[in-house]
Amino acid sequence: MIEFVCVVQEGCIPENIREDLANGIVKSCNEVLGEDQGPIIFHWREIAKGLAFRGGYPSTTSQVKGKIPDGCSQEDRELLMRKICDSWSTISGTSDDDAIIGIRDATWQG
Amino acid sequence: MPYYRVITPKNELDFDARQEIATGFTDVHCGISAAPRNFVHVEFMETDKPGVIDDSHGAGQFSYDTKYYIAGGNRAGRPQEIKDQILNGLIGKFCEVTGISKNDVSGHISEAPAKWTMEGGHVLPDPGEEPPEWYAADTVAASGS
Repeated sequence: MIEFVCVVQEGCIPENIREDLANGIVKSCNEVLGEDQGPIIFHWREIAKGLAFRGGYPSTTSQVKGKIPDGCSQEDRELLMRKICDSWSTISGTSDDDAIIGIRDATWQG
Repeated sequence: MPYYRVITPKNELDFDARQEIATGFTDVHCGISAAPRNFVHVEFMETDKPGVIDDSHGAGQFSYDTKYYIAGGNRAGRPQEIKDQILNGLIGKFCEVTGISKNDVSGHISEAPAKWTMEGGHVLPDPGEEPPEWYAADTVAASGS
């Protein structure tokens, strides 16, 4: 199973494009990891204005945090992050600098 | 990264206090590490039911029994004393801004490999391996100077 948590800032990523953003992530996963990785689950969380900061200033940055099965090579992980970053930017009309993409092993304990 | 979540009771801190804390956390982190200022993310999470929060950088959860909690996520690879210095600095800054006792604040910083994260379109470098061009993207610092 693959799981993604997408954290967005209020007013920055409209609800009506979130399905397209998710579809872009699914397409990226299928292209890099294959289609036999099990279901891909999404959780969305919106941070209200005034509660998030970047460098001390109000943030507009989205976070796309994925948990994938252990064993992915770094080459594939980077390719997956690149594809997700490109897809997210294209669909949302934001820049690479407006999204953080993290892909970690499912069992990583932090 | 880094990504610091500050868990507080609802409606306890106004915007100015939150921004002062976020700026202070940026000062603390960048004073100890080599990260550009615009890589420091701070989120305030308001809840009236303290106790447990999911780890942002690992599979587990953090349990806490203080009124305020700082849940951090950083690049892996720093010595323990540096990690302790960062967390103590964050707690100290939070208490300095709010006037809250250190007895009411706790925290934990978890880590994930830098190369598992892409920020600004680039894979993050390990701590101590930051290339000069990494700082060219520090637009927040430039606009704030």
